[in-house]
Amino acid sequence: MNSYGLQNRAKVFVLIAFGFLSACTSTTVDEFRQGETGIESHESVVVLGRRQASDYETDSDFVECVGERMARGDGAINVVPEQEFVDAMFPWFEPRTAPLRTRDLETLMAEDVVARKMGEFGIRYIVWVDGFTETTDRQGSISCTIGPGGGGCFGFGTWEDDANFDARVWDVGSLTNVGTINTDASGQSYLPALVVPIPLIARVEANACSRLATQLKEFVQGS
Amino acid sequence: MTKQRSFNSKTFRQVLLPALALLLVGCGVNNVTIEGSFPTPNISKLPLSVAVYYDDALKQFAYLEYSETGSEEYNIESGQSHVELFDAVLPAMFENVVEITDMEQAQAQNVDAVFMPLIEEFQLALPSKTKLDVYEVWIKYNMRLVTPEGDYIADWVLTSYGKTPTETFRSVEAGINEAAIVALRDLASSFSLTFTQVPEVRDWLASI
Repeated sequence: MNSYGLQNRAKVFVLIAFGFLSACTSTTVDEFRQGETGIESHESVVVLGRRQASDYETDSDFVECVGERMARGDGAINVVPEQEFVDAMFPWFEPRTAPLRTRDLETLMAEDVVARKMGEFGIRYIVWVDGFTETTDRQGSISCTIGPGGGGCFGFGTWEDDANFDARVWDVGSLTNVGTINTDASGQSYLPALVVPIPLIARVEANACSRLATQLKEFVQGS
Repeated sequence: MTKQRSFNSKTFRQVLLPALALLLVGCGVNNVTIEGSFPTPNISKLPLSVAVYYDDALKQFAYLEYSETGSEEYNIESGQSHVELFDAVLPAMFENVVEITDMEQAQAQNVDAVFMPLIEEFQLALPSKTKLDVYEVWIKYNMRLVTPEGDYIADWVLTSYGKTPTETFRSVEAGINEAAIVALRDLASSFSLTFTQVPEVRDWLASI
């Protein structure tokens, strides 16, 4: 057998192994449209996380993931990074001062400095992402030992991750809420350990991010 | 024998003394100096000339967090970061801002008012004590505005709050610093947006 055939076999083996190592995730996306949408090439979108709740705050990594995925691939959209936008608009989009309703946005846009900065960025839509990922049903145990002759881990652990995120889309032109997209992803992760722990992690948040970004991209383009 | 004694004395100086010093440092208080950058507020300037007076209590402000056994655990130095914050915020709020080192300079500078911030209270919540995965900082301020002659214009209380996102792998020092910077941003946003809504300030602005 030549080296080319061996390489192909190795690739197939890695792909199969990767498939086994990823646990299953189920994702549901609901869209509720309240107005017409569309975006020009010179316009942009900013994806912001809601952080006014006392018991949780939307993960900035998730918000960044949604923004990055909207900005690449087919029909990519100009997305202003969250931190760049929040710093440039300081102090209007801080956790305590950010507009909670479109009526608040209307009041905010009456400020010349805010309207001017919004125009400089070319913001057409503000996407408010609100939600979190919860880990439940932790079960099992793993124990590890180490001795002069070597070491190893034995046992089994499992848990369930549930990511629930809402994305509200505000049209900065009409100062209205044009729609809401909800993403709910859940998956069971497993961690069997036979000498070496083998993580079979459900990529719940990554799947929620991917599906939400795809849906948001289509939503703001009006398709 | 002499050689042996000299070796022991050398070993003690070169190895044991530094090890002992390290051990003592390990048991002592951990110093955390708050460091970060603050954006300039994007707000309309008030046509005022204001002097700012940072007294030593603010410039050298430090908070000591004690462990559950009552020993000093963390010394959090945030005075300098407060000065940096006001230096970033005030020029965006007022047409002209000067720093003064004593009240006599205020009259010579021909300013409309003198602003004197003061930290009244600082509270810290550590995950090791709250059993939550977040670090929290709460600060209470006393903001004072006086005329160049030192007469009262306004005196009001502001509170600020900051917490870190939930994250398991973070050093205590980094967690305290991050929460404090969020609290300082919170102070900057509420101070700059509510300044003209303070009743005494509003009345004074209407009178000049």
